[in-house]
Amino acid sequence: MPGVRTLTTRLTPVWVPAAALAYAAAAIVAVPRGQAPLRTYAGASTPAFALDLTAGLALLAAGSVAWIQPRLRRTASLTLLAGVVWFAPDWEGWEGGPTIVRSLGVVTAPIFLALVLHLTLGYPSGRVRPRSARLALGAAYSIAGVVGIGWALFRDPFADPGCWRYCGANAFLLHGDAGLALGLRDAWLRAALALGLLLAVAAVLRIAVAHRDDRRRLLPVLAPAALVGLAEAAYAVALWRTRFEDPRQTQFALVFAARSLSTAALGLGLVWGALAVRRARAAVDRLAAELRATPPAGALADRLAATLRDPQLEVAYWLPNLQRYVDGRGAEVEPPVARNGRVTTPIVRGGDPVAVVVHDDTLLDGETLGEAMGASAQLAVDNERLNAEVVARLGDLRESRARIIEAADAERRRLERDLHDGAQQRLLALSFDLRLAAAAASSGGDAGTAGLLASAVEETQTALDELRDLARGIYPAILTEAGLGAALATLADSAPIAVTLDDVPDARYAPAVETTAYVAVLEAIDDATSRGASFADVRVRRREDRLVVTVDDDGRPRASELTRLEDRVGALGGRLELDQRALRAEIPCA
Amino acid sequence: MRVVVADDLLLTREGIAHLLDQSGIEVVAQAADADSLLRHVRLTTPDVAIVDIRMPPTHTDEGLVAAQQIRADHPEVGVLVLSQYVEPSYAMRLLEEHPERIGYLLKDRVFDAALLVDALRRIDDDETVIDPTIVSMLVGRRRRDDPLSDLTPREREVLGLVAEGLSNRAIAGRLFVTERTVEAHIQQLFLKLRLDTNPDSHRRVLAVLAYLRSAS
Repeated sequence: MPGVRTLTTRLTPVWVPAAALAYAAAAIVAVPRGQAPLRTYAGASTPAFALDLTAGLALLAAGSVAWIQPRLRRTASLTLLAGVVWFAPDWEGWEGGPTIVRSLGVVTAPIFLALVLHLTLGYPSGRVRPRSARLALGAAYSIAGVVGIGWALFRDPFADPGCWRYCGANAFLLHGDAGLALGLRDAWLRAALALGLLLAVAAVLRIAVAHRDDRRRLLPVLAPAALVGLAEAAYAVALWRTRFEDPRQTQFALVFAARSLSTAALGLGLVWGALAVRRARAAVDRLAAELRATPPAGALADRLAATLRDPQLEVAYWLPNLQRYVDGRGAEVEPPVARNGRVTTPIVRGGDPVAVVVHDDTLLDGETLGEAMGASAQLAVDNERLNAEVVARLGDLRESRARIIEAADAERRRLERDLHDGAQQRLLALSFDLRLAAAAASSGGDAGTAGLLASAVEETQTALDELRDLARGIYPAILTEAGLGAALATLADSAPIAVTLDDVPDARYAPAVETTAYVAVLEAIDDATSRGASFADVRVRRREDRLVVTVDDDGRPRASELTRLEDRVGALGGRLELDQRALRAEIPCA
Repeated sequence: MRVVVADDLLLTREGIAHLLDQSGIEVVAQAADADSLLRHVRLTTPDVAIVDIRMPPTHTDEGLVAAQQIRADHPEVGVLVLSQYVEPSYAMRLLEEHPERIGYLLKDRVFDAALLVDALRRIDDDETVIDPTIVSMLVGRRRRDDPLSDLTPREREVLGLVAEGLSNRAIAGRLFVTERTVEAHIQQLFLKLRLDTNPDSHRRVLAVLAYLRSAS
């Protein structure tokens, strides 16, 4: 739900980025430059100062940017903390700064490596899933914590011969123990070497196992993280080789440069990642807005008319397959022409005209219209045109189905009439002649011939009866002549089961409607009879613009469909519902 | 007896005229369509007009309409309608307005001279003629809880003959019983079927036909 997300974004507490900004400003002011005695790397040279600041500020900036994206909140916290801790050695070397601040700098510095490891293992969500990774991370935090607290409680800088950043009083000192402090330092350097290498390996491993699409996303953060790990490992090695750290020594200067640059790169990678998330969100918001703006099929002309303030505006779609113009609802329209101050502007897609807009020529010209149509409107045009084509085709199909039914009915009517006027009349004439001949033979005393002729008369009568039934089966003439009520009454008279008729309207309907209603009843009675029914109750009612035929019977449950009837009813745009012992046909009759 | 014959087919017209001629019935005019039929009826005032139901121009129910018009304009002229359809609705439509001097026969019966002449004489005697095929279809119609199952075979037979339009005297003649016996049967079956029409009226044919069609 974009609306809710927008709200969350708007309500994001801004104090976090603000605090980060304030901290960065404080660090810039406090980090000393070119003073003697030398107590920080930043103080060693202007490039070192720039490197130091760049690295720390990059992390703080990345944290602030990421903080705005709710789903990056954890990563943002870690990044901000890393940025804060990055400056810890500078606070320690703050000549003239408060003891508590300088002591805090000493204590917190080891956390940096653990935070970067956390970032590496958890990026981008900040959540660390695999158990092994969680264990390693826990160990890293524990070691950093133990070393930090150990230094806080037992290291007396004054008694440390290697001290150079701050050799004054330790604000947290519980008991000065030079041996323990030295032991902690040795332990930390080993741990820092191990953690640095672990960080590098973890970062490389994550890049290696990531899916190709994920890799593109992870690389900008994890590659610098691996370098940070290597640089921190190198730092630990350098410190291991001498107890006396000196920023002016080449090896320390180089290691610092490596640490700063890799950290700065990590910060930039995180910024890039946060912005990518933001870009994706914005794109989705745009798409959602466009989708909301896409009018429903059939409404585009109205929408355009309202937008352009031209109430007479029309949109006609060209359907090349059907060779006709239709409106947005699929109804055929006249080919659009320009007249009475109205002009036509074609909308062209891939070189083919897909639609024509008829609009007021004083309001806008064709070019402006093309420009005004954004991606969303283009989509709406395609959408509506496809819809219109489907509706138009459906209409064609329905008409053609109805025509097929009507043609078949007309053919049956013609056949019935041919039988009536042809074969039946000839048989009648034959029977007349036979009767005359029989009478003549009889009066002439030829009993044998008279008998033969009499039986021929019988045969002819049987043929006439059968022909009459056949003709009625082909098409009941009374349906055309007297309507549905009379036709259904005769059907009920001659049905093999008891048929009751209710509510059959006297009104006349279109031949196709009457025939379909008649066939529905006929097939329902046949079907009921085949299912062993003893009766069928027929009801025909007019319900608004539909003729509703229902037939209920007492036969065995229906097992088969009445496909032919369903097709016939469907051809007129009606509906056939079948129950176990009930049939309901709705036939449009308006 | 003087008769007008109307049928659009010359063959049928001539055939009927020939039969009637041989039976001593005078054919005063022949008509090929409804208009000329009405003209001949007006000019000759026959005893009975024989009318085919299907005639020009639409070949639907012109004959039926003409028959009703003759009965309305010339009550003294009887009408025998011929049809190729076994349609009780047509027969009942004829009876509804003028229940006597009218008949409905299937066309294939008219070449049976005896039957045709009998029908004409009955119509001329103010009776009604309904084709036996139609009557047997209606009597044999399927019904739920058929009230006709309470009738004796003889009562059923009488019911059918009443529906065919026969008078009590004619029924008695057919069944070789006295007219009083026929009257008793009719009283009895009207009672059983709860038919509330006066069993002796001209309207009893229509009432019986309607009953046969509607009884469920």
